[in-house]
Amino acid sequence: MADPKSPGYVSSAMRVFDLSVSEMLWSRRTIFMALVVGAPVLISMFLRLLDALGAPVFRVNGMQMAGPAIFGLMIWVFYLRFTIPVLGVFYGTSLIADEVEDKTITYLFTRPIPKGAVLLGKYLAYMACTVFVVLPSVVIVYLCIVPMRGSLGGSFIDLVKDLFLLAIGLAVYGAVFAVIGARFKRPLLVGLIFIFGWEQMALAFPGYLKKFTVAYYLQALVPHAMPNDTVVSLIQGIFHENPSLPEALFWLSAILLSFLWFAAVSVERKEYVLEQ
Amino acid sequence: MDAAAIPAPIVAAEHVSKWYGQVIGLNDVSVVVPPGVTGLLGPNGAGKSTFMKLITGQLKPSKGTITVLGEPIWRNPKIYFHVGFCPEQDAFYERMTGLEWVRALVRLNGLTDKEADEAAQRALAAVDLMEAAGKKIGAYSKGMRQRVKMAQALVHDPKLLILDEPLSGMDPIGRRKTIRLIREWGRAGKSIIVSSHILHEIESMTSNILLINNGRILAEGDVHHIRDLIDTHPHTVYVRAQDPRRIAREFLDNPEDDVRSMRFEPGAVVVETGKPDAFYARVTRMAASGEFGTIDEVTSPDDNLQAVFQYLVK
Repeated sequence: MADPKSPGYVSSAMRVFDLSVSEMLWSRRTIFMALVVGAPVLISMFLRLLDALGAPVFRVNGMQMAGPAIFGLMIWVFYLRFTIPVLGVFYGTSLIADEVEDKTITYLFTRPIPKGAVLLGKYLAYMACTVFVVLPSVVIVYLCIVPMRGSLGGSFIDLVKDLFLLAIGLAVYGAVFAVIGARFKRPLLVGLIFIFGWEQMALAFPGYLKKFTVAYYLQALVPHAMPNDTVVSLIQGIFHENPSLPEALFWLSAILLSFLWFAAVSVERKEYVLEQ
Repeated sequence: MDAAAIPAPIVAAEHVSKWYGQVIGLNDVSVVVPPGVTGLLGPNGAGKSTFMKLITGQLKPSKGTITVLGEPIWRNPKIYFHVGFCPEQDAFYERMTGLEWVRALVRLNGLTDKEADEAAQRALAAVDLMEAAGKKIGAYSKGMRQRVKMAQALVHDPKLLILDEPLSGMDPIGRRKTIRLIREWGRAGKSIIVSSHILHEIESMTSNILLINNGRILAEGDVHHIRDLIDTHPHTVYVRAQDPRRIAREFLDNPEDDVRSMRFEPGAVVVETGKPDAFYARVTRMAASGEFGTIDEVTSPDDNLQAVFQYLVK
């Protein structure tokens, strides 16, 4: 039986991406993403307004924090510790699960493309949706906050580094949670336990456990000082040690590729029984 | 017949079982589906959908093997160049238009944008949906949604179309159109497996059927062969006559007719018999003798496909 030419793996993934990206962007999760990403934007606008009105914004021990320091704090608190892992868990675990729940997965799995390419296409759609929402919000926060006793030009390199590390964070967390989504029955719960349980605990202990987290390597890319704003972060600060930049990039790339591959293989082999 | 002349089966299942945990979906099914239009009949929960999912490669058999167009289907995506599937579920990307959706799906078959657009338009025209091609699927009626599902199944011109309850939820006119389409596709040389739990729907499309119940294939083949099978099952025969009670007495006096139950209706007696051939012969003799008054009508619901189904799934 002569088969027509199959689209290649990446080409198949790109076609799934085309099909999925607008659906993903207009899904219910986008409202959640808008809330998560909109909060720091609104806060930064509010801070800027207070500053313009002459209110003492972020005065510590009589010293007023400069805009770049506040921006660094927001990158840590809002984005690195919350937005990136949370978006990763909510989107990453649902790459295939949403299609299964909506019962539209049948249309994708009865086409002449590998199931793994469907996952890859959905993953790329997740990246597009999150990167193009999160990164602009960071830029808005930067534009609002940094000019308060700081200069936009002077902190620009840090902004580029921040955007880069947040995009990497979305990519790596997305891949990790894609595996969890493909392998576990309650992926959202497992994902939340991973980011708010395992990662927090592992980072707070001395030793090698922290090497089994994504946050350990991501933190090495952050150009701002780590804040000690909570007890957990204070403890984490005590045992804080960063891998070198090349080591962090190597391990983040390794985690990304291996987990994405593992997720694709899991989807290839899994049966999806739709609820009747 | 020369073995070489026997057409290769489009679907072959050998001792296929499928369990969902402790629940059995399909139980040791061995069946060969020939080319042409084949109806898969069974009540809800009979195992039709499991069978459909197995032959479309969505599920892996717990036991046994399935081949479609001569090749294993599980984890063999290339086979979908030749297979089109219209699922039962009413699920869509609601924000897309019918044309966008069908085009996006056929692009997954490797078509260029232009080819995909042309193929999508052809498929939508084939299901009489071109007028609504630019409307969002979310705004489609139930019948239109069924038709756009069929369009995505046939858009790549597959050799085998697998349609899971395609008439479900359609209005009578839509039903008639769809039945006509399926018959046309069959005449055009496509092989089609169509499932339904309503026999007269299938009857209007094909005489080649598979009867399924409780996860087992009860019968397969031409409806007339299946008709022979029902002779082993009790038949219900309606006899309208001048004196139904006298006729009833005669039936009861002849145990060789294997009358199992009897009830009276106005001007008629309805008899359930285990030996329909002998029973029909006796009624014919009684009518010919004239001793029992006139016998105006002898009918049996067994003569239509619905009764075949009811008997076999009991």
